[in-house]
Parts: sequence; C-alpha cells; structure tokens
Amino acid sequence: MAANQSTEWRAVCEKFRLALELSENESKKDPENNPFRSKYKARDLLNEILCSLKKIELEEYGECENEAGCHSEQTVEAETENGLGKACAGDSPAGLRAARLAVVQYYLGVNHIETEELSAGEQHLMNCMKLIDDCTTTRENVSLFINVRNQLGILWAGRDEIEKAQGYLEIAESMYLLYMREDGQPPLDLQEFFVAEGEEFSTQEKIRRFEMSYTHTLYYLAQVYKNLEEFERAGQYCHSTLQRQLEYKHFVPLEWAINAATLSQYYVTKTRYMEARHCLSAASVIATLAGEIPSEAAAKESEPECEKREELLQKRADIARCWIKYCLNLLQDAKKLLEDNIGELDLDRQDELKRERRNEEDEKEKGRKSAIIFGSSDTYDSICSLEEKVSSILPLDFEEARSIFLVGQDYVAQAKEYFAMDGHVTDHIEILQDHSALFKVLAFFEQDLERRCKMHKRRVDMLEPICKDLNAQYYLLICRQLQFELAETYYEMMDLKLAVADKLDQPDVHTIKKFNHLCSSSMKYYQMFLDSIRSPEGKFPEKLEDELLRPALVAKFRVARLHSKLISNQLSAQLENLDHALESYNFIVQYCEEHPDAKSAVETELELSMEMVSLLPLKINRIKSRLNSN
Amino acid sequence: ESSCNSDGDAIKVFVRVRPLTQNTGLTTDCDNSLCLTVTSPQTIRLHCKPEPRTFIYDHVADMDTNQEEVFSSVAKNIVESCMNGYNGTIFAYGQTGSGKTFTMLGPSELDTFSDELRGVIPRSFEYLFFLINREVEQSGGTKSFLCKCSFIEIYNEQIYDLLDSVSSSLFLREDIKRGVFVEGAVEKYAASAAEAYQVLSMGWRNRRVASTSMNRESSRSHAVFTMTLESKETGQDVVNIRTSQLNLVDLAGSERQKDTHAEGSRLKEASSINRSLMCLGHVIMTLVDVSNGKHRHICYRDSKLTFFLRDSLGGNAKTYIIANVHPGSKCFGETLSTLQFAQRAKLIKNKAMVNEDTQGNVR
Repeated sequence: MAANQSTEWRAVCEKFRLALELSENESKKDPENNPFRSKYKARDLLNEILCSLKKIELEEYGECENEAGCHSEQTVEAETENGLGKACAGDSPAGLRAARLAVVQYYLGVNHIETEELSAGEQHLMNCMKLIDDCTTTRENVSLFINVRNQLGILWAGRDEIEKAQGYLEIAESMYLLYMREDGQPPLDLQEFFVAEGEEFSTQEKIRRFEMSYTHTLYYLAQVYKNLEEFERAGQYCHSTLQRQLEYKHFVPLEWAINAATLSQYYVTKTRYMEARHCLSAASVIATLAGEIPSEAAAKESEPECEKREELLQKRADIARCWIKYCLNLLQDAKKLLEDNIGELDLDRQDELKRERRNEEDEKEKGRKSAIIFGSSDTYDSICSLEEKVSSILPLDFEEARSIFLVGQDYVAQAKEYFAMDGHVTDHIEILQDHSALFKVLAFFEQDLERRCKMHKRRVDMLEPICKDLNAQYYLLICRQLQFELAETYYEMMDLKLAVADKLDQPDVHTIKKFNHLCSSSMKYYQMFLDSIRSPEGKFPEKLEDELLRPALVAKFRVARLHSKLISNQLSAQLENLDHALESYNFIVQYCEEHPDAKSAVETELELSMEMVSLLPLKINRIKSRLNSN
Repeated sequence: ESSCNSDGDAIKVFVRVRPLTQNTGLTTDCDNSLCLTVTSPQTIRLHCKPEPRTFIYDHVADMDTNQEEVFSSVAKNIVESCMNGYNGTIFAYGQTGSGKTFTMLGPSELDTFSDELRGVIPRSFEYLFFLINREVEQSGGTKSFLCKCSFIEIYNEQIYDLLDSVSSSLFLREDIKRGVFVEGAVEKYAASAAEAYQVLSMGWRNRRVASTSMNRESSRSHAVFTMTLESKETGQDVVNIRTSQLNLVDLAGSERQKDTHAEGSRLKEASSINRSLMCLGHVIMTLVDVSNGKHRHICYRDSKLTFFLRDSLGGNAKTYIIANVHPGSKCFGETLSTLQFAQRAKLIKNKAMVNEDTQGNVR
C-alpha cells in the first residue's frame, strides 16, 4: 500500500495506537466523577483518523472518484463473476479502503456504546456494516464482519430484542464456518489495518485473535439461547465455548474447571451421564493446572498464599461434590428403573435389562461420545483415564452399584476435607446427607436383609450425633431434614427386622427388644419433627404451611403405625399404644375434614387412616373387655 | 396476636413514603408532582400508565407518619421476641435519598439520642434495655442479661469491621451452635441504651471515614449492626442460658443493586482484561433445572450478605423489611422497582423442604 510509507500515514497509525491505549488501559484509571475521560479522548482521536482517511483518499484517488466508492463499473464485473451480488472484492483496493474506514467506524461504535450513547453507537456500527456489506468476505475483512455482528448482538440483546441479536450472531457464526471451509488462512486482525509496515501480527497472533472473536460469538449465542429458553441449544453452546477455550488456550484453569463441573450438573439433570462424566473428568484434570496447593505453613507466612490455598481447596472440593451428585443420581436412576411397585428390586426386570444391555451395540454410544469430546492434546489422555474409573451406564446389580458407590464415597471423603464441620456447617451436613443417600440407594441393591440393615445403621451413625448438636435456632430447616431422615431410616430398619423375624418360627426376647427399640427411635424422631412445627407457646398450627403439609401428615401417620406395631405382652401397654395410634389416625382424618384441600397430598395415608379409625375402636374394646375380665 | 406460628415467621413489609424534598441539594428537590397515593394503611397506589397499580403490604405509612409510629409497628414486636430468645432482623431498603438513614437513625447521627426525630435503631436500644431492666427486676435477681454489639460493612463482597478501622477483610464462618458469624469481628459490651448507641455512632463514623479515605462508596455498601443478647436464668440447680440476635441492616441504595445483578436479557460480555468468560458459569447455572427431583451441586456461592442473613431471609427468625420510597414523579422508576422488590420479599418464606421421598409406597 502506497499510503503506508507517508508521514501522514504514520501519524494516523500512531493516533490509532494511542486511541486503543486510552480506551483499554488508561480508562481504568479514570476518576469516579469523570469515568469516561479517556474514552472521550480516544473518541476524538478516532474522529481525527476518520478525517485523515478521507483526506488521504481524496489526495490519492481523487481523480478517479468512481473507483473509490464501491459503486464503480467494477460492480457489474464482480457481480457477474461470483454471482453473489457483492459489489466489489474484499481484497481489491476499493474493498480495502472500505474496510479501513469500517474499522474506524467499528471502534467509534464500540466507544459510543461504552460511554452509554447507545443510539450513536448503533449508528456507527451500522455505518461499518454498510461500508463492508457490498464487499465479498475475504481474509482481509472476515474478522471485521464477525466482530461488528458480535457488537450488534450485544447491543440488541441489551434492548431486549433477543431475536434481532440472535440474527446478527447467527450470521457471524455461519460466516466463520463458511470462511474456514473455503479459505481457512489466518485472517487479518482489525488492528492490523493501522500498523506500520513490518509491525503486523505473527501468524499465531492472527489465529488467536480471530478464533477468540468466534469463541465470543458462541458465548453470546449461549446466552441468547438461554434467554430464548432453548436450553438444550444453550447447553450445546456452553459446551462449545468451553471446548474452544481449551483448544485455543484461552482460559483460567480454575474458572474453566468450575464451569465444566457446573455443566456436568446440567447433563446430570438431563440424565445424560456420559456427557456429565466427561465434563467432570475434564474439570478434575484442568483444575490441577491451576497449580500446586500451597502448604499450610506457606499459607501462614503470606496472605496471597493463604488466599490461593483457600481457593484451590474450595474449588476442588466443589468439583468433588459435583462428582458425588453424579454417582448418587446414577444409582438413583438405576433404582427407579429396577424397582417394583413396593420399592423392592424386581428380579425379572433386572434379567430383562441385563439381556437388553448385552444385545445393545455400543456403536451408538461411540457416535455420541465423539460429539462431546473435551481436551487438547496434552490433557486428552488424563481425562480419558479418569473417565475409566467410573461407569456411566446405569448399574443393574449389587456389584455394579457398589463400584459406583465406592467412587462416590471417595469423593465424599475428599469434599469433607475442605468442608469441615468447623466453619462450614451447612456444606458439611449437605455432604453427609449425600453420603447417607448413597448408602440408602446401595441398600436397595443388597439382597441380604441383615447386611442391608447394617447399611442403614451406618446412616444413623453419621446423622444422629449432628442432629443432637445442631442448633435449631439457626438451622431449623436442616434439623427438620435430619429428624425426618433419621425417623425414616429407623422405620426402614424396623421393617427389615420384621421381615427377618417373620422367617423365624418364634422371635426371641432379644429380637423383640431390638424391634421395639427401632420402633421407638423412629417415633422419637418423627415426634421431634412434629414438635419443631409448634409455635413458641407449644401450639400446633391450625393450618400447616404448604411445604410442611405432607411431611407433617406422613409423620403423624407413621407415628400411628409405629404405635400399633410395638410388641408387648401386657394388655395395659397394648391398650395404651393403640389409644395413641387411634389418636394420631384421628388427627389426620380430622385435619383433612377441616382442610379438604389437604386430601390430595395424602390420599393413600388418608384412606388407610379412615379405615383404622373405624377398625381400631373394636380392637381397643376387645382388649378393654379382656382387661376387665381379668 | 400471632397465635399461628407459620404466619409469625413470614417476612413482613412496611412501606414508608417520605415527604417531598425542598432545598436539600438532592436531585428530587422541587419535584412537586406525586407518582403515588397512600390509599389505606395497607395499600399504596402507583400512578402507572395506562392504569394505576395497587400494591398491598403489611403496613403503608404516608408522609406524616412519625418515628414513634414506625418503631411501634416495625420494631417493637421484634425486640420483644428477641427477649424471648428468637432472632430478629430489620432491613431498610430503598433508593438513595428516600429516607433510609432517617428512618433507621434519625436526622443527624450524633445528637439525636433524645430527639423526637430519632429513628428505629435508637428506639430499639431504649426499648430493649427497658425490657431487660424490667425482667431483671421482676425476676428478683435470678435472671441476668449480657448484650454484645458488632458492626460490619459488606462492600464488593468483602467484609470490613466498622468497630476496628485498621482490620483487613474478614471471613464468614459457621458453627454448629452459633450459626453464621464473622470470624474475628470485634464485639463490644453494652450495658445500657446509651452505650449501645455509642458503639453504633463509632461504627457509623468509621464507615464515613472509610468511604472517603479508602474509596468505598457508602451507598454501595451494606452495613449490618448486630446485637447478641444472652440471658441467664438461675433456678434450683439449673442454669438456663438463651441467646438471640437482633440484626439491623442498612442495605445499599436500590439503584445500585440494579446494576450488579443486571436483570433480564442483557448479555454478559467477555471482559477484555483477561479474556475471561466469567459469566458462562452463571449461564449454565440457570440451565440446570431442579424440577425433576434430581440432586445437583452448584459451585457458585451465595453473596456474603445473603449468606450472613440466611437465617433471616426465609429462616427461623422474625424479619421486617422497611421499604423507603420517595413520592416525587421523577422517582417513578425507582419507586416502582422498590415496591416490586418489597412484594417479592413477601414471598420469601422458610423453604422447609423435607426430603420426604417415600410417597406412594406405604408399608
């Protein structure tokens, strides 16, 4: 370019450099009461550049004005040549001149938007579009095409016109894809229009900048689709954004890892375990790139080391918690698939699913897998080897379930290391609740009733001490959850003991004692839960809150059943237990009479309660008459 | 009156309309046309176009409501339940210039202790110590009380101790017995309302110093004054100890809150500093749906304020929000958003979800 040599041109390049410097770096130091000082200075410079450009153009091309615009005879030629309806080739002198003006318009547009003058900003961006729209897309201007559409996308989304934003961004996306298919050479960056000869970017830098603007397109599209509630697509675009960050090494390891771990939770809720596992493996591997965790000693020495240690430990523990949820949901989904109508393992169904699995080709899986792969050449192997440590297919028997359980349990240990009870009460208890849930679902796969009972005992052992110590004044919700879970666990153990005893001819005294102990423990926790609902004066609410309605009535129902299940030789004790049971059944029936809208929440329980309310008095009367006759 | 517990725990909202401003240097000066009318002690009508909108709250106070009335409806009950061992929180919310500080403290901070215009905070102190003294007297010396105060500021997700102006930022921690607390925050004992008020004024002064010398903008920060009340009752052979907390919160100006969680469809841009696509995680977060009963973990933490006051926001505490609004027509937008916030706040309740998952298989 002839212009490149002149002094005048060098001055333009210098102004441009200064404008960028002002806008990107100086502006951060602007005072609170004059926040856009540097941006305004940059704007002045850009306007001066615009004048100079027009002047240079006049001087150099003034005589043949026709050529300068994009509406010369060339138009016809170009149009017939490529049939795209473009007025001139992007790499022709006219196309380059247009692009150069367009770049300045682009920066002016961004500048106005940053200084909250949106309409003026839009005007400049549209000027930019107009200048280059008549030109074919080439290595010289493709970057500009994409960047200006990214900006317009942001602008229109800000005005709540999402469809308009979507239009611009989708064009940017397809433009990138088309360019990569047809040309693919590292394109010119916007800033390169204004550098002196010999100061162009390296090939690598050109690629970096170009790929980054496309990554941004995808990042904006992810948000646009989210706003349009196209969640599936939004998820895909989040995934591509993450993948490209990795591929082009544009990422902060810890931030990337947390985003990938979060994405895994999206896949978990969609029951796409293979994708979820992949995200988690990648998250774990990339998190290690954030560096070594400073030792405790080093953390004591300096504050930055201390902060770094805290952050690394916390994020890793967070990723471990995402893994726990992965294992837990995988197991729970398998349970749902395998259980019969009373919640026990359905053996026929199990056989059937195993057969199905054998017949299934894993081709389908492989095809899906190649579509979601994460990783660059250096991390790919580590990610894959981490993946192999846990299955992503639903377990069908105890052995398979156990291996997933064990992985989950390892992550529980890891997560608890950072989220210790001292300092992180809520998080710590949430992890314990997950651990308990892991045991609960594993027990489903266990056929031996005694061993199953032992698994539930483990749950009791981990939750009971906390339930006792936790201050309900600050942790009411968690207390209620723990009380309810403990009550249910004891209830389940009672059921198992009953099943074991049924197989014996005559249960011994020890078994009966054990059974009664489980019954009363369960009742105790249901009662604690019910008491937590009472007012400060000890009064039970006349109307239960929505969230508490079902749990409270179920607790009452269980308490009733437990009372009637207690084993006793003494008639007077039997009578007392049945009286208590009747009282609780009555409560449910009466509550539903007074609040008919509660009926639907506890249909089965209500039906059984009504039955018991009519039957129990007979039984009670029989015992009474036997007592009297004695 | 609140015989029903469930009702007593819901968050209550008090809306207060300040008088029009004249010669105060505020931008709302000489704005004499009104954008709202108080239509009853529970309702307020906002002159929206094309149709006016009516909002309903627990209490709406118009321009000539006095400080004593505000205190009686908002704080009296909460202070009383604190005496009985329950936690309580009072928030002040609203646009800068809508009268938050006036409502909470009074006209100027220092000499208002005996002033008719003193705000909710000094009146709460007086009432609390009045109740304490009465209890101590009535119990004949078997009951004693200990009152500790701390005062923190949350600015930019960092916690500063307003009672220790040289401290660096502090951490939030949780304890199985005492809940969430700020580790290392200074606690000052107060034996009378005057002493409590002294602690408050000292912190308030530090807040102003910090805002000028350390570039912290006070309209962008939240200030939380916490009184921990410990009561000890000695009976035959047993000592009964109860603690409760009273949190008095001055929230950042509502107009500033808006830009922090830029609502709606606005796209988060890639920051040019380190090319970080920070908000991607927040996008993904909103994709993760909870409705299908799956358990998931989200790696993003609560904001410091909501974490600290988690108990008050839908927890096990008595909570009142005072929403301050300016009636001038220039403030229409801000007033609408404050009224909407206050309406949403009413919906926050104890999310008492109990993992009750055996529905359907009664055995």
